[in-house]
Amino acid sequence: MSLQEPDKVVAVPELEGLKIEMLAAGGGRGMDPTAVTFCLFEEDHTLGNVLRWILMKNPEVEFCGYSVPDPFEAKVHLRVQTSEKTTAVEALHTGLDQLMEVCDTVKDKFQEEVKAERYEVYEEDP
Amino acid sequence: MPPTPLTGPPTIQIRKLTAETVDFVLGNTDLGVANALRRSMISEVPTLAIDKVEFEENTTVLADEFLAHRLGLIPIVCAGVAGMNYNQDCTCDEYCDQCAVVFDLDVRCDTAGDTVNVTSRQLIPRTNLAQSVQSADFDDGILLVKLRKGQHIKLKAIAMKGTGKEHAKWSPVAAVGFEYDPNNRLKHLEYWMEETEDEWPKSQNANEEQEGGQSAEMTDGPNGMAGQGPLDNEPHTFYFDVESVGNVPPEEIFLSAMRVLSDKCITAGSALDGQGAGMGAFL
Repeated sequence: MSLQEPDKVVAVPELEGLKIEMLAAGGGRGMDPTAVTFCLFEEDHTLGNVLRWILMKNPEVEFCGYSVPDPFEAKVHLRVQTSEKTTAVEALHTGLDQLMEVCDTVKDKFQEEVKAERYEVYEEDP
Repeated sequence: MPPTPLTGPPTIQIRKLTAETVDFVLGNTDLGVANALRRSMISEVPTLAIDKVEFEENTTVLADEFLAHRLGLIPIVCAGVAGMNYNQDCTCDEYCDQCAVVFDLDVRCDTAGDTVNVTSRQLIPRTNLAQSVQSADFDDGILLVKLRKGQHIKLKAIAMKGTGKEHAKWSPVAAVGFEYDPNNRLKHLEYWMEETEDEWPKSQNANEEQEGGQSAEMTDGPNGMAGQGPLDNEPHTFYFDVESVGNVPPEEIFLSAMRVLSDKCITAGSALDGQGAGMGAFL
């Protein structure tokens, strides 16, 4: 399924270093907090893909997909649709927190492993 | 189909760690996380590389821009990169100690019938915080250009902080080996073969998967399809082999990549908050 082209950009105050914008698709039907397309600036598949994976694990998220609309623009569109119990913004927040937790866990585990020295070490012959 | 929730935290097992490579197995995670880690190690770890060159004298056979490119590709070892500013974010006019390391190169050939090799070893840093990469005492350095009698090269090279996203010269890795499901049990690949399966030799990682063709991650499938693969048909174990170019130790590349990813989450999270502030009605 291709992502719906947003037809209205919600006006937001200019923020220093703004990294996320919400693109509301829905036009005259009003805006629905449970279905939002986020635009992440200065990001690529690195964050887009992993966020999609994490968000899909949330049982309240009904749909999550991402796309890079143009390979020459550093932008990622992330579409999030949730159940009525939560909002897309909340779901994204949870996803980001969970991803950070994963990163920190992996980082700690790696450091533990380096200290444990259970690995093979060898110096290359000159 | 939504992915099945994994139980427990991700696991890491380091198999080999040398001065230039780290070989590890990342387990109990998803492809997205593994791929984010791989991409982040390649293109988001900040390093130092020569970005500007001021030529004073160049009577060698190579053109200025040719040499500037060669200089850019030399790995620069610098322990303090994390504390440095990106040149574009720095408050200085052109460059300063906060955002750059300056190297000098001045070599002349005066002996007739002889060639002089100009290498990375002759790049003299103006600070002792950084130097060009040197893997061992016997390492002659990276050859930049050869001089004949009367030829002279004199320049100032300015190394700046950057990431592989902007230019590959800032990438701290020569290669990142990445593999999952070496026995192709998930059938994500289709191997074309002339006659027999031997035409596709198994990688070393296939030995890591359990005997009898069932890896630890594999759960019994439905309808007596035991050992066919996990129920969600997704890989959960990833084999990495990171090769550093020598400017950043391999374990630091990993940790730095992880730090970059979790920092991204923090900035994105606060950007979302900032966004929410102007969106009261919407929320």
